[in-house]
Amino acid sequence: MSWFADMLGPWRGFAVTFRQMFRPKVTTQYPEEKRVKPQRFHGRHVLNRYPDGMEKCIGCELCAGICPARCIYVRGADNPPDAPVSPGERFGFVYEINMLRCIFCGMCVEACPTEAITMTHLFEMSVTDRDDAIYTKDELLVEPDGTPRHPQPAGPLIDLEELKLGNGWLRATASSGRAAFEGLVAWTPSATFGAEPPERGQTDADVDDGNEGA
Amino acid sequence: MTDRILTVRMEAHPQDSHTLATYEATGGYRALRTALSSMTPDDVKAQVKASNIRGRGGAGFPTGVKWGFLPEDLRPRYLVVNGDESEPGTFKDRILLERDPHQLVEGIIISSYGLDVHHAFVYIRGEYPKPARRVQQAIDEAYAAGYLGSDILGSGFSLDITVHLGGGAYICGEETALLNSLEGRRGEPRIKPPFPAVAGLYAKPTIVNNVETISNVPWIVANGGAAYAAIGPERSAGTRMFSLSGHVNRPGDYEIVMGMTWRELIYGIGGGIPGDRALKTWIPGGASAPWFVPDEHLDTPVTIDDVGANGSMLGSGAVIVMDETTDVVAAAHRIVKFFAHESCGQCTPCREGTTWLERILWRILNGAGRPSDLDLLLDVCDNISPGLRWPPAMTTICPLGPSAVSPITSIMRHFRDEVEAKIRTSEGASVG
Amino acid sequence: MADASDKVTITLDGRQVEATAGELLIAAAEKAGTYIPHFCWHPRMKPVGMCRMCLVEVETPRGKMLTTSCTMPVADGMVVDTASAVVEKAHEGILEFLLINHPLDCPVCDKGGECPLQDQTLGYGPGESRFVEEKRHHEKPISISDLVYLDRERCILCARCTRFSEEISGDPLIEFVERGNHVEVNTFPDEPFVSYFSGNTVQICPVGALTAKPYRFRARPWDLEAVESVSLVDSVHSKVSVESSQNEIVRISGVDNDPTNQGWLSDKDRFIYEHIHSPRRLTVPLIREGDTFREASWGEAVGLVAERLGAVPGTAVAGIGGARATNEDAYAFSKFMRSIVVTPHLDAQLDDGLDPEFAAAVHPRARIDDLERAATILLWGPDLKEEFPVLYLRVRRAAAHLGARLVVVHPRVTGLDLVATHTVRYRPGEGPATLKKLAAGDGDLAAVRAALNEGPVVALVGRPGLAEDPRLAEAVAAFARDLPEATIMPLVRRGNVFGALDMGLAPTLLPGRVSVTDTAARTALEDEWGALPEGVGGGATEILTGLVSGDREVLVLFGADPMRDHPDPTLVRSALEAAGFVAAFDLFLTDSSRLADVVLPVAAFGEVAGTVTNLEGRVQKVNQIVPPPGQARAAWSILDDIATAMGGSLGATGAERLNKEIARVAPAYRGVTWDMLDWGDGREGIVVPLRGADQPLRHIPVDTGVPTVTERPAVHSARVLYDDGAMLRNCPGLAGLAPRAAIHMHPRDASILAVRDGDRVLVSAGASVELPVVIDAGLAEGAVYVPFNLVETAALGAPRSIRIDVVREDAS
Repeated sequence: MSWFADMLGPWRGFAVTFRQMFRPKVTTQYPEEKRVKPQRFHGRHVLNRYPDGMEKCIGCELCAGICPARCIYVRGADNPPDAPVSPGERFGFVYEINMLRCIFCGMCVEACPTEAITMTHLFEMSVTDRDDAIYTKDELLVEPDGTPRHPQPAGPLIDLEELKLGNGWLRATASSGRAAFEGLVAWTPSATFGAEPPERGQTDADVDDGNEGA
Repeated sequence: MTDRILTVRMEAHPQDSHTLATYEATGGYRALRTALSSMTPDDVKAQVKASNIRGRGGAGFPTGVKWGFLPEDLRPRYLVVNGDESEPGTFKDRILLERDPHQLVEGIIISSYGLDVHHAFVYIRGEYPKPARRVQQAIDEAYAAGYLGSDILGSGFSLDITVHLGGGAYICGEETALLNSLEGRRGEPRIKPPFPAVAGLYAKPTIVNNVETISNVPWIVANGGAAYAAIGPERSAGTRMFSLSGHVNRPGDYEIVMGMTWRELIYGIGGGIPGDRALKTWIPGGASAPWFVPDEHLDTPVTIDDVGANGSMLGSGAVIVMDETTDVVAAAHRIVKFFAHESCGQCTPCREGTTWLERILWRILNGAGRPSDLDLLLDVCDNISPGLRWPPAMTTICPLGPSAVSPITSIMRHFRDEVEAKIRTSEGASVG
Repeated sequence: MADASDKVTITLDGRQVEATAGELLIAAAEKAGTYIPHFCWHPRMKPVGMCRMCLVEVETPRGKMLTTSCTMPVADGMVVDTASAVVEKAHEGILEFLLINHPLDCPVCDKGGECPLQDQTLGYGPGESRFVEEKRHHEKPISISDLVYLDRERCILCARCTRFSEEISGDPLIEFVERGNHVEVNTFPDEPFVSYFSGNTVQICPVGALTAKPYRFRARPWDLEAVESVSLVDSVHSKVSVESSQNEIVRISGVDNDPTNQGWLSDKDRFIYEHIHSPRRLTVPLIREGDTFREASWGEAVGLVAERLGAVPGTAVAGIGGARATNEDAYAFSKFMRSIVVTPHLDAQLDDGLDPEFAAAVHPRARIDDLERAATILLWGPDLKEEFPVLYLRVRRAAAHLGARLVVVHPRVTGLDLVATHTVRYRPGEGPATLKKLAAGDGDLAAVRAALNEGPVVALVGRPGLAEDPRLAEAVAAFARDLPEATIMPLVRRGNVFGALDMGLAPTLLPGRVSVTDTAARTALEDEWGALPEGVGGGATEILTGLVSGDREVLVLFGADPMRDHPDPTLVRSALEAAGFVAAFDLFLTDSSRLADVVLPVAAFGEVAGTVTNLEGRVQKVNQIVPPPGQARAAWSILDDIATAMGGSLGATGAERLNKEIARVAPAYRGVTWDMLDWGDGREGIVVPLRGADQPLRHIPVDTGVPTVTERPAVHSARVLYDDGAMLRNCPGLAGLAPRAAIHMHPRDASILAVRDGDRVLVSAGASVELPVVIDAGLAEGAVYVPFNLVETAALGAPRSIRIDVVREDAS
């Protein structure tokens, strides 16, 4: 080793820096620019309805039971016989999620026997009051026509279209992952309201046409 | 040698064999007088035991042995005559009740004397109003003539007989269900033990015998147990009523001495198959018995033990003959449907299993069978009657559940190709 | 019984296991640690072997046989296989059969999460169903009673409910109908399942077929918290599990134990909890202002009470109540009144019970479990079905299934008459004459007298009706204690009345079953408490008349509602109006506390922990599971504040601290602490006194020579299970179940008055009420029956004599 090496020494530490200067930049100009999120992204929940407008939630509390953060509070009640809220005897009378506690693990989605609760791609939910972080049925439940609701208006930060994305979750948890169901519409419509495409075989599954297809 | 015991009178006096006058004129109530005047109750029991007569209701249990199960020290005791003849294809008790009721009444009185019973019951199926009327009439006549009531014929022995008409349930032919029904409860079989001989009607010791069994008692007492035992093969002593039905030229009730072959019974007595069609299969002892087929069984003898050894039973003596034109799957379905309809619903395997079997067979019959249904049928059968063996093991309380299994195991054993053919033709329409 | 204790050895899955001869195989296996799955078998009912789930293989001379272990008694040398391939196949098969017609609506089923069918399917069932056909359908839940829904789709037809109603409760109003695959449980046409015990069928249903209306959709099992406690509806103190969700009690279930309830509860025990969360509960102290109340702070209310209590001499103050409180609260009240206020005028009863010394310390005292071994039971007291429903079940079991002879003496037909060997009816007031006749075995009572000659005899004695002399019970007890191996159980109904008496809330008693005249005990207690009033105090009626006459000026109502519970509501009203100051500790504004000057909101059942004592002297623990609403507080802490404001101290810093003081101060309770009751055998309660501890007072009943009263018509006034009490009134599920009030008359008396069923009559005593007539052949001739404390009869109370005027419709 010589004086040359000694002279170069201090610059060696910059090697990484110099190298990066010539690599393409990865920074996204959020919020002006937004990345497409993975199909099964764990974002804000919605409570879905059947195409006829009935609520899917039956107030069974399985989501609340499985929730590791204990952030879901559900109370069931008798369906009024003349104006039922959901099919069957029972409906979700109270449904609240404390988004401050929620860890977005998605166990509630897996536990739900009716696919009533699903997750979307929206994660921008900052609030200025703790009480506002408790989402009630008013916020969680989609409109009868399938439009999701959000407490805040759409804006540069909040793209409410993301509330309509999230079918990957349903595909992942639906019981219809059997070959026998190929070609059948075997899972019920979900976050994206309306008719669903039929099930496909595994060979097609790696072709990502986005879960946003419908 | 005697070859007819029970049906002699009704054949000789077709118009009035049921009346007391005819009965007495043809030797009736003489056995009773003998028994009451010169025999002790133990003598009566000894004669019945010596006769080797086996129960005619279906199980074929030796009557003398059954009588011996009564506990010595418990009174009152009851005698119940089972006239709830509901097994499809069986109609032998009907003519005994209808055409010779006094023979039964005399049998009841003698048996009651032997058993120290002072109240006997005759349980007759609800669909037999005429036989019940005739029996009641005979009992009324017997009361009037001093054969019933207190101090019968001056012997000091007293007996009352009550006739009870069932509500129309097959299961009430099962002795403990019959007792429940008689007590005014739901006709559901009881858990055994205790057996009725220990705790039967109103929890008292009770003997339950078939109409035909008891109808034989006057002859046994009159002629001696040994004479009865001498009729027919050793372990199937006496004559036996057979109800022959189905594809035979001369269906009807026949009293025969056991021991002949099935060929003789079907082709000889039954007069063969109409149109000389080929015999396909027959049920040897009522709807709950496994079926026989000509290749294996036509030349085997008609005795309780031989039929048992061949994997079926002589049961209630109902022989149902099916010729080559029979759709065996439809026949099995019809029988299973009967049992599903008649299940009392008390225990799970019978209540749910028989209905399920019926629905699977219905599907196969109606073109919606699936290949997996063959295994499913047998496995559901196995869950009702584990091992599918004969005599059947059961997960049920009483043998009604396993009875529904018999036709299915029979068709799967002898006619599996026909079942498979039905499924194949229906496969195009099947789902899943 | 001797051979039943014989031990036999069986081979269970290859292990040698000891069992009791005659015991059922399923029970023996469970004791030995081998669980055999089952649905229809219930240890408190006769086996039926219907569900077939408990099949096991037993070696027989003819080889291994599948048999139901619930119907098979063990025998020596029995070889049993509970897990062979055949058995496992049978289990899978049975479960598949059970599930083919089961709707699998577990997510909306109240049983989901604690369902034996779910659990056993997971443990023993097949992986999936092969059933592709349509399931059986029925109308979703049908209402079979006011409290129970039936979902026939979920039913697996195990007959537990039908057997319970026939075998245990004796009202067989549900039964199987149809047959085969169409069997369903249902009621008889036009006859609802009206039973005081219908809730038990919900608890023992192994699926969600029977569900309780008050609990419907209120919670799921996994969000329930539970504590063991005892029901304070009556003084039997049935063991219960109190379950809450989100700080609200949503369910009470029976806990199986031998000493008290054997797992069963009455519907009142089970559904009374709704009153705890009633919106009408008091949550802040109230101070009278003219005709109304205003809300006040605790400081103001406590200060006012302290001031008014301190302003008069101690003996001018009296206290009524405490029978609904825990022993700790009752003790605090006793100590407060005796050592801070210094008055002897204390009574936990409302002249509706028995002599306190007799009730608290009768000797020899029976235990409920003695009924299991009793040869003869003498019941001369209230109609158990109406007043002690769980005790009714125990007596019924003894008479109907254990072969005990039962003699019922009552003015009217009772719930137990159907299983009684002898029933004796007499006119109220003529009890003493009847007793004399019975004791002598005169005339038609000779057979009854003879029936009482076989021991052990358990005598259940109480007041058959409120219009009767309480001393009659003591006379009956005096007769009964001479019967062979006799034990006596005093019957006083209200919640923790025996605990309150034992804590000294009686004019003649000090804490720990000590007589106020016992000088040694008085000295010891005075050393502890610092002060003790002289002499014997006055009972409830004497206190009330004292208030009217001005001998007393201040009244403290400690959770009592004398307007509704005292036999003479007219006297109560004038006493409360005459009193200078009335302070009431209460849950609700009752008819009585409405007349008070200060109302202090107290904590209710489930909101405090403490001990309670039942009618056999069994001390058990009640536990807290929810907080009291608003500013309501435990009574002891309020008393402690008042004591402090009056310049004294109760030394009460917590209920457990009070318990330790009781265990030190009260002789019969010496050594009985919460620790003992929370763990191990003590959870079943401890009958005081403990072995070796003393109970200074042992009351030997004597016939006090009660006079026979022959009044026409003789009045029989008794409570019904669902009356118009404050707790029931505020309990939505039960409030509507109270029967319509009527005056019952014997047909002959009715014909003398020329009234027919449904006619209206004016019944007058202190007050007048108009009631319809019910012709009741089950009533003694010459007597009328008027239910106590229904909406319509509350003003009447329980008068000893009444006037009846027929209201003629056509007169107007």
